[in-house]
Amino acid sequence: MNPLLEQFLSESREALQGIGEKLMQLEKDPGSTLLMTELFRIVHTLKGNSGLFDFPELTRVLHAGEDLMDAVRDGKVDFSLQLADLLLDAMDFVGMLCDEIEREGSYGPAYGPDSARLSEMLRQMIGGSDEGAAECSAEQGAEKEGVTLLDLPQEMRDAALGAAASGAALHLITYTPVEECFFQGDDPFYQARQTPGIIFGKIAARKEWPPLGELDAYSCQLDFHVLSSAPLEELREYYRYVSDQLHITPVRLLEERGAGSAEEGDDPLLQRERDAASVIMEVQKEILSLPDDVSYLAGRIRGAAASLQGCLRATGSVDALPGLAAAADAAVAELSAAPLQQWLDCHLTGAAAMVSAERAAAAPSAPAADVVPDGAPESEVKFGRRAEDNLTTARSIKVDQEKIDRLMNLIGEMVVAKNALPYLATRAEALFGVRELSREIKAQYAVINRIAEEMQDAIMQVRMMPVSFVFQRFPRLVRDISNKLGKKVNLVLEGEDTEADKNIIESLGDPLVHIVRNSLDHGIESPEVRTAAGKVATGTLTIRATQESDRVIIEIRDDGKGIDPEVIKRKAYEKGILDEEQLERVTDQEAVNLVFAPGFSTADAVSDLSGRGVGMDVVRTAIEKVNGTVHLESEKGRGTRIRISLPLSMAVTNVMIVESSGQIFGVPMDAVVETVRVPAGSIKTIKKSMATVLRGRIVPLKGLNALLGVPAEQKRNEEGEVAVLVVNVGDEAVGIIVDDFHETVDIILKPMTGILSGLCAYAGSALLGDGSVLMVLNLKEVV
Amino acid sequence: MMGVAYKRNSAVFSDTVGAEEAETLLEWLQKHPKGKLDLAACTHLHAANLQVLMAARLAIHKYPTDESLAAWVKTALHTA
Repeated sequence: MNPLLEQFLSESREALQGIGEKLMQLEKDPGSTLLMTELFRIVHTLKGNSGLFDFPELTRVLHAGEDLMDAVRDGKVDFSLQLADLLLDAMDFVGMLCDEIEREGSYGPAYGPDSARLSEMLRQMIGGSDEGAAECSAEQGAEKEGVTLLDLPQEMRDAALGAAASGAALHLITYTPVEECFFQGDDPFYQARQTPGIIFGKIAARKEWPPLGELDAYSCQLDFHVLSSAPLEELREYYRYVSDQLHITPVRLLEERGAGSAEEGDDPLLQRERDAASVIMEVQKEILSLPDDVSYLAGRIRGAAASLQGCLRATGSVDALPGLAAAADAAVAELSAAPLQQWLDCHLTGAAAMVSAERAAAAPSAPAADVVPDGAPESEVKFGRRAEDNLTTARSIKVDQEKIDRLMNLIGEMVVAKNALPYLATRAEALFGVRELSREIKAQYAVINRIAEEMQDAIMQVRMMPVSFVFQRFPRLVRDISNKLGKKVNLVLEGEDTEADKNIIESLGDPLVHIVRNSLDHGIESPEVRTAAGKVATGTLTIRATQESDRVIIEIRDDGKGIDPEVIKRKAYEKGILDEEQLERVTDQEAVNLVFAPGFSTADAVSDLSGRGVGMDVVRTAIEKVNGTVHLESEKGRGTRIRISLPLSMAVTNVMIVESSGQIFGVPMDAVVETVRVPAGSIKTIKKSMATVLRGRIVPLKGLNALLGVPAEQKRNEEGEVAVLVVNVGDEAVGIIVDDFHETVDIILKPMTGILSGLCAYAGSALLGDGSVLMVLNLKEVV
Repeated sequence: MMGVAYKRNSAVFSDTVGAEEAETLLEWLQKHPKGKLDLAACTHLHAANLQVLMAARLAIHKYPTDESLAAWVKTALHTA
């Protein structure tokens, strides 16, 4: 099942639940417009969502429900218990379809009539007693009654008669397309022409045609009448998308006209036909009573039987057909007309009685058709799954994020707390000298460690979200913006199912929008400029997400005009971001990355879209907040590529512990490049600042004590070497001199709160396994 | 899909005539109230076109050779 459908089902279930609740509340407080509006909104959303899928039956019911809610909201219809019941029924029906979709991926074709009936009933509630309701109830009546050949238009009758003679069941389809159907891509004429089992079709204008000058060619004014011999189910299936614009009425040949007309007996044609049939029957009787001694007796019996059969069909006494066939077979087998004769005698005497009985039976139902229903729903249509019925259990649950966060914190603490066990094992051995116990503790630690890691993994899975969550807004965004700018852009999204932690994904939203806007505004040129530059008129914007080990990489690439490093340099100089000396030194690659500098914006005019001067530095800040990095590459005239690298999850941070002046500090492992011991002799002092050469590269050195304002020298080891932790700060490698290195640990980084939050030198603190507090350095601030 | 070819005083329909043709057809019929309609080579025309023809009440010069379409068109135009 595709994720969209899954999402739809889960949302629908929620919406249905909501509708149920709101209806209950409304019953207590029928006057509440707030509840009503809320209810309308839910139904409206649900309907809108269902329109994405190919579930016409479902959408139709919801649509009718929405219209009804709208009428109630506008005060045209009063809220009543009946109305609530009907809506609940409708929602049960929708729920039932949802269940089936969840099980089977779709639902069977059998729901068409139910859906039509439900929506009809909902619409009747809106209409109350106005003409619309009267009209449709009359038509409904017709549907029950059926029409006879006589009710058909003259030209159809001839065609129908031919088909009916072969005994096929006929249906008259009255298809009244909605006026705007042409705009929905329908061709009702084609639909009508392709009707299965079509015998005859006719098109009629709905009203007198206006003069040609006033005619709206695209407002459908046609009604279609189609006579078909296809089975009812097939017709319903064929027309299922327009079943609300459709009436299918069974066509019977002659009998069972409205009781009124039969009683009056003044229909000459009907009476004549009946008479003719009985004459034919009488003739057959005479034929059968002829002497049996002819060689063609079998043929004669068969002939008579066929004539009788025709009469029976024509008068609609289909029930008698098997009896006739049996009698005919017996007669042929015995080579005597007697069995058929006997049957005919029985039938002729019985027929008169039967006809009156039929009329009597038909009589009560006929007047019912004329009564306008008073809005009471037909009680037999129930999709009732009341509270006591078994509800299918939902496969996904929705949980408040706070609860997940709490669980994650707890698991995180567990991960850290387990680190106490190795300490304990060491103590057991070193302090108390019980090796055996120490080993057992270590074994237990291994078990707990495994479980804790799995728990951590599991909670990560829960928090994981695909980047499509952020990506899905881009097709629309790109379309709107490019239209506004008069540019042609083809958006390519790749790797939408790449997953990352919810917080990370959410933090990605705004920066990405910003970058995309920038690309569209400044990057991709207008079609004319592109064509002039020898490029295809349509620009391409690619957003790709990939996973690289424990990081998510988002790449936004356009094939626009790129960034001119010279322009950037000049701007940066003008804005005082670069001084003259730096201006000389800066490489093109470094220059283009200056767009991320605070206060830098290349747009000369402030446009509605981008260029408010809060440009890319906001992007960088937002990304760095979640420990991400952003990097830009651009080639003038060829395009720009922005690479955002984000951690998969932020819950547990891997830090390296370093020691300086008797204290321990944490340094995020993401930033650590290497740890080296540098002989004191290799440290050069250039203009008061220290530096050393590592593998042919100059690395500036800074003492941690000095950085933190601690008045102490950094310790050296016995060989006179200093411990240097090489870290990446921004794009630069910096060596931090510390006293000693310790192990790396997984910690839960707690941001500084309260009065401590003002200390920007620290990213946060964490509890270590032995209960001590570790301060984690914020390198960007410290260095 | 061929659509409609308009000549000096006749409109020749061929193959399938789509909905987008209806507007042009309507205009043409207004300008040529005595134009000749040749549907011989037409196999289907969109309902929008059909209703324009019905509203124009113009005699069909040549009915479609496609029998089913011809039957439909005939009944439609006669009752209109």
